[in-house]
Amino acid sequence: MANASFYQSAGFDFSNDVRNQFLQDKGLPLPKATSTGTTIVGCLFKDGIVLGADTRATEGDIVADKNCEKIHYITDNIRCCGAGTAADTEFTTALISSNMELHALSTGRKPRVVTAMTMLKQMLFRYQGHIGAALVLGGVDSTGAHLFTIHPHGSTDKLPYVTMGSGSLAAMAVFESEWRPNMEKNDALRLVTAAISAGIFNDLGSGSNVDACVITATHTEMLRNFVKPNERAVKERNYKFRRGTTAWKMENIRSLVVDETVTLIAPPVGGDAMDTT
Amino acid sequence: MQQLKSGEVNLGTSIMAVQFNGGVVIGADSRTTTGSYIANRVTDKLTHIHDRIYCCRSGSAADTQAVADIVHYYCQMFSQQFGEPPSIKAAAELFQKLCYDNKDQLLAGIIVAGWDKDVGPSVYNIPVGGGLFRQPWAIGGSGSTYVYGYCDATYRENWGRDETVDFVKNTLSLAMSRDGSSGGVIRMCVITEGGVERMFIPGNELPKFWEGKEVLAGFDNLTKKAVVEPEPMAVE
Amino acid sequence: MSIMEINGGSVIAMVGKECVAIACDLRLGNQALTIATNFEKIFPVTDRLYLGLPGLATDVATLRERFRFRVNMYTIKEEREITPETFARLVSSTLYEKRFGPYFVEPVIAGLSPVPSASGKPEKWEPFIAATDLIGCLNFAKDFVVAGTSSDKLFGVAEGLWEPDLEWEDLFETISQTLMNAVDRDAFSGWGGIVHIITPDKVITRTLKARMD
Repeated sequence: MANASFYQSAGFDFSNDVRNQFLQDKGLPLPKATSTGTTIVGCLFKDGIVLGADTRATEGDIVADKNCEKIHYITDNIRCCGAGTAADTEFTTALISSNMELHALSTGRKPRVVTAMTMLKQMLFRYQGHIGAALVLGGVDSTGAHLFTIHPHGSTDKLPYVTMGSGSLAAMAVFESEWRPNMEKNDALRLVTAAISAGIFNDLGSGSNVDACVITATHTEMLRNFVKPNERAVKERNYKFRRGTTAWKMENIRSLVVDETVTLIAPPVGGDAMDTT
Repeated sequence: MQQLKSGEVNLGTSIMAVQFNGGVVIGADSRTTTGSYIANRVTDKLTHIHDRIYCCRSGSAADTQAVADIVHYYCQMFSQQFGEPPSIKAAAELFQKLCYDNKDQLLAGIIVAGWDKDVGPSVYNIPVGGGLFRQPWAIGGSGSTYVYGYCDATYRENWGRDETVDFVKNTLSLAMSRDGSSGGVIRMCVITEGGVERMFIPGNELPKFWEGKEVLAGFDNLTKKAVVEPEPMAVE
Repeated sequence: MSIMEINGGSVIAMVGKECVAIACDLRLGNQALTIATNFEKIFPVTDRLYLGLPGLATDVATLRERFRFRVNMYTIKEEREITPETFARLVSSTLYEKRFGPYFVEPVIAGLSPVPSASGKPEKWEPFIAATDLIGCLNFAKDFVVAGTSSDKLFGVAEGLWEPDLEWEDLFETISQTLMNAVDRDAFSGWGGIVHIITPDKVITRTLKARMD
C-alpha cells in the first residue's frame, strides 16, 4: 500500500537542527511560540463532566488571539482542554483524536476515557516533556464519568475536580471552597464558570471569554463563548480615512473575470451538420 | 542518575512497607507537588501491580507511573501465560531492571511489596539508581530521612497485623509532619493471602505526637502577672 | 536581537466587506544594514489566496518553494484548487513537522473562500484570514492578523483603526495607514510597502509611497 505521504516520512523532522543550534549558539534567542497562558478546569457532577476554559492565547506579553478554542474534540463523548504550548496541545489532541477513531473502528466498541488518557500519557512521556502540553481530559463512557489531568512529562492524576494552566491556582481556590459531590448540572456549570472567571480576572495569562462543555452519558454539549464578560465597548466614532489618503506609486489590477465570447458557426446551407446515425 | 526536570511533577513523598507474619502493610502520604504548588493532595501512591503485588512510588510522578504501567503489563502477561500469579521477586526484578537500565533517564525510588505462595510476605526496596534489596521493612521518599531513627528504634520482629499497621501509621505521620513535601492523608494497604484491605486516615485524624510548647512562661499584660502554665506554641 | 530581526520585515492582513487585504513592507536587512528595498514577502497561492511570510529570508525563500510544490501536488492529485482553509492546515502541519528545529517564519494567510452554491460554481466568496506562529499554531481571526518584527506595533494600530465591513477602497486606506504608521516606528521594517486587495472579481496590487529611512 502506498504511504499516506510517500515523499516525506512520518514524525518530526530535525533537518534544521544543526543550523538552528548554530544560530542559538551565536546568542540569538528562539522566537516565542504561541502559548496558552490559560485557565482550564474540569469537574465531576451528578450525571457527568463539565469542562471549562478561557479563550486567551499569548505570545510573550502580547495577546495573540482574544478568542481561541482550548476545548479540543477527542471523540463524541470525550473532550480535552489544553494549556501550554498552543501548537503542541492542538496537534497532540488531534493525533490522539484520530487514533481514538481508528481504535474505535478496529475494536467496534465505544471509546473509553482511560484509552485516550493512556495514549496521551505514553506519547508525552516518550517526548520527555519537550512537547509542552498540559491537559485536562474528561468524558463519559461505559464505565462512567472520568476526569484526568495530564502533565507535559506524562504523569496523570484522577480527581473529581481539576485545574491547570497559569490560572489554575485562582480556579482551584474556587473549587476548593465551593465544589460538592453530586452537584446538579446547572450548579456545576455555574461553578466552572466561576472558576474560569477567577482565572480570567486574576491571572494575566488568562482572559476574554468562558468556554464550557457538558458531557453526560447521552449527550455532549459544547458551549462556545458561554459567558462573554469582556466584550469590547462599541466605538462611538471611527477613524475611517478619506479615500485617497494613502499615496501610492504603482497599481496593478488583475481581473479574475474571464470574458467569453461565443461565436456560433452556422452550418453550411443545405449541407448536413453532422452524421449522427 | 538525574535530577527532576524543570516543571516536572514530583512525588516528594513519604512511603513505607513492612512485612509481618501473615502479610505486608504498605503505606504512603498523598502529596504531589510541582515546585511549591500541591498538584494533588489526595494522590494514591500505592499502585496495583497484580492481585497480591503493590508498589509504593517516589520520585518523578511521570517516571514511576510509566515504569509501574510497564511492570503491570508484564505481570498480566505472565499470569495469562503461566496460569499463576508472578512472584514478588519476579515483579521486583522487573522493576529493578527497568530502573537500572534507564538510570540516566529516570528518577524513581520504588518499594515493591506483596504476598506470594512460595515465600509468603516480602518487601523489596529499589532506591534511585536501580539497586534491589529485600528488607523486612523499607521506607522511602524525601520524608523517610526524618524517620530512620524512629524505625530503627521501634521495629520488632514477629509483630502481628495491627501492631504493624500502627507502626506504619505512626512512622508516616512523623515523616509527614517534618517533611514539607509530604502531607495530606495516609493511605495504607494490608496485603495477605486472603486479599488486599485498603485503609484511609484523613489528614485531621493522623496520630499526634508532641508538637511543641513555649519554653519561657508568658507574661499577661492585663493581670501584670507571669502566666504559670504557658500556652503551647504561643507567639510572643 | 532575535532570529526574526536578522532580516526584518512585517506582514498584516485584514478582513473587509466581501474582500480581504494583505500588506507587507519591502525591507531586506542584514541586522542593522539594509540590503534591499524590493523584498516582497507576500506570494500568490491561487487566484484569490495569498501567503505572507515574514521572518528569516532563507526560510522565506525555502518555504515559498515548498508551499508552491505542495500546492501543485494538491492541485494535481485532487484536481481542484486548494481552499484557504485547507491551505492554512497545510501551512500549519508543514511547520509543526519541524517542531524541534523550526523555520523562522510567521506565516499570514489571506484569501477569499468559496461558498458552495446550488449551481456548483461559487457565486459568493467569504473573507478568510489566518496566521500561525513559527511552529504552526493556527490563529483564525475575524478582524486582522499581524506578524513580523513590528507585530506589536501593528497590533496596536490595527486595534485602533480597523472596523468591520469596510469596502475595498476603504480597506486599502486602513491597511496601508496601519502598516506604514507601525513600520515607521520599527527599525527592522519599512522602506516601502505593498498592498494586495483581494475582491471576488479582481486583485488590486498597489505599491505604497512610504518613508525610505
